[in-house]
Amino acid sequence: MFTYLLKRLALTVPTFIALMFITFVMIRLVPGDPIEVRRGERGIDPERLEILRHEMGLDLPVWQQFYNYVSDIFHGNFGVSLVSKTPILEEFLKLFPATLELTLCAMMFAILLGVPAGVIAAARRGSVYDQSLMGLALTGYSMPIFWWGLILILIVSNTLGLTPVSGRVDLIKFFYPPVTGFALIDSLWSGQKGAFLDAVRHLILPTIVLGTVPLAVIARMTRSSMLEVLEEDYVRTARAKGLSARRVIGVHALRNALIPVVTVVGLQVGTLLAGAVLTETIFSWPGVGKWLIESIGRRDYPALQGGIMLIASIVIVFNLLIDLLYGLINPRIRHG
Amino acid sequence: MADVLLEPNKVPSSPLVLFWAAFCENRGAMFGLVILSAIILCAVFAGVIAPHDPIEQYRGFSKLPPAWFDNGDARFLLGTDAVGRDMLSRLMYGARISLFIGVAVMSVSMVVGIFLGLSTAWFGGLYDVIVIRIMDLIVSIPSLVLAILIMAVLEPNLTNTIIAVTIVYLPRYVRLVRASALTELPKDYVTAAKVSGVKPFRLMTKTVFPNCAAPLIVQGALGISDGMLEAAGLGFLGLGAQPPMPEWGAMLADAREFITAAPWIMMMPGLAILITVLCINLVGDGLRDALDPKLRRS
Repeated sequence: MFTYLLKRLALTVPTFIALMFITFVMIRLVPGDPIEVRRGERGIDPERLEILRHEMGLDLPVWQQFYNYVSDIFHGNFGVSLVSKTPILEEFLKLFPATLELTLCAMMFAILLGVPAGVIAAARRGSVYDQSLMGLALTGYSMPIFWWGLILILIVSNTLGLTPVSGRVDLIKFFYPPVTGFALIDSLWSGQKGAFLDAVRHLILPTIVLGTVPLAVIARMTRSSMLEVLEEDYVRTARAKGLSARRVIGVHALRNALIPVVTVVGLQVGTLLAGAVLTETIFSWPGVGKWLIESIGRRDYPALQGGIMLIASIVIVFNLLIDLLYGLINPRIRHG
Repeated sequence: MADVLLEPNKVPSSPLVLFWAAFCENRGAMFGLVILSAIILCAVFAGVIAPHDPIEQYRGFSKLPPAWFDNGDARFLLGTDAVGRDMLSRLMYGARISLFIGVAVMSVSMVVGIFLGLSTAWFGGLYDVIVIRIMDLIVSIPSLVLAILIMAVLEPNLTNTIIAVTIVYLPRYVRLVRASALTELPKDYVTAAKVSGVKPFRLMTKTVFPNCAAPLIVQGALGISDGMLEAAGLGFLGLGAQPPMPEWGAMLADAREFITAAPWIMMMPGLAILITVLCINLVGDGLRDALDPKLRRS
């Protein structure tokens, strides 16, 4: 297990170096004068340009610039946002809990509905349930989520008036300090009446929108994995023992069918973070996805560079953890 | 008596016929194929059948609802958008753009993917390690974030959208081709070809590659729909095709502010994306079932 862990960790190192290299090159490829791009100013006079060039280390050889960039990153220095003039790491950490909360809720939503849907479809294979559930799953999988979000806002928020249109908190009614950054926990913590319900109401639509594609993927995956497992000998044995269908499917089959599903759930994290960009934009959800898009609009390239570096790092680390987890669960991977 | 021996139906059916028969059995896939064909026809003949110019703004006709509503106008069957452009015509021309993006992304990433996949499988070594590491890196960046990074550096337009989405989808083809080529390479028929003196290039393209093609075809079909969704997402964020181009994602973005006043402007492009992508996925599922007998039973 230890060698496996080391091997897997060693594989992550070149990925990180390449990631740093790409983000390093990216800001250099942006059209325009490098200093103007990074300072967000235009028409700087030549004398000051020279001073700035020296200050920012742009007069050093390229390899030295890259070395400085990497060493800055290892010291937690991801640069300073042009617009807010705050360190990017600080800004990112302030916004990331909102994205994480949304992502986790969407994943829960997808798993809690997707797994049962897949199990029912497999257990009643070929029935009306199976066909309609899988039809819905394929529709969900094909859904342009930005449109789905607008439709839900139109129906649920505008027409029925059940949920708020945007944001995380009703700022007119509630205010609580961000203790954990998670609106659900902070609102409970604050003890204000109705604050928690308000947070939940803000979360519902974004959760559904972001969770739709993973929900469809999980339902389809659970069904096909379940169908495969149901033909195994141990399931036949369990049936022959006279166990109820519910027990055979719910315990004996499901436990084994879930292994590939767990893989899929792990792989969906990147998809979810990508989807979060769209979902956050639609619902004005103050997370990193919306911030990234706004940074493009404001031509805040340092923020974009740091933000992409941070998001990709999180996904890389998360994928690493998932891989290690599989190694623990499934000895075949470890030794393979 | 000799007539019996000459009965014509003894000829074994070609794989293509068998494949088509299996595909036809799948009602969903057939349904998808029919609708998709209609959409493709609309896209190809948009110049002939579209009732209006897609970027012509009809003054005094803005935000007309579809014709079947009370205050609709029969001349604008699906209504008009915020500046009085005909929705139906825009959707037809939009189909052209969206399908073109999907097909372009799929073909470019597939060709490059086949090349990289076959060459890494053949050469192995450092080259293989480097290419696979790069693919891993691309996968580790969330697709839309990577596309955003590329679009931030390049200028947002149609060509660059295709470039960005192609890079995002490249790894799946490389991995798929490489993995199936690696399982084929040690097999006897490959050894036999090698021994008989087939050159590496011919060996990889003519001997090995055809045996890797089935999963690739399925991935290609699904790749078209994924590429379309990704490009529409970029268009929606304002990073894809630029107005007044009738790209479906960009049309949706324009319609956002009229969501309560004129919901149909927002409804139509999204519905167009959903139906097209759904049909392609239905066809893709059908292709998979027909090409892979192992999956066919489930």
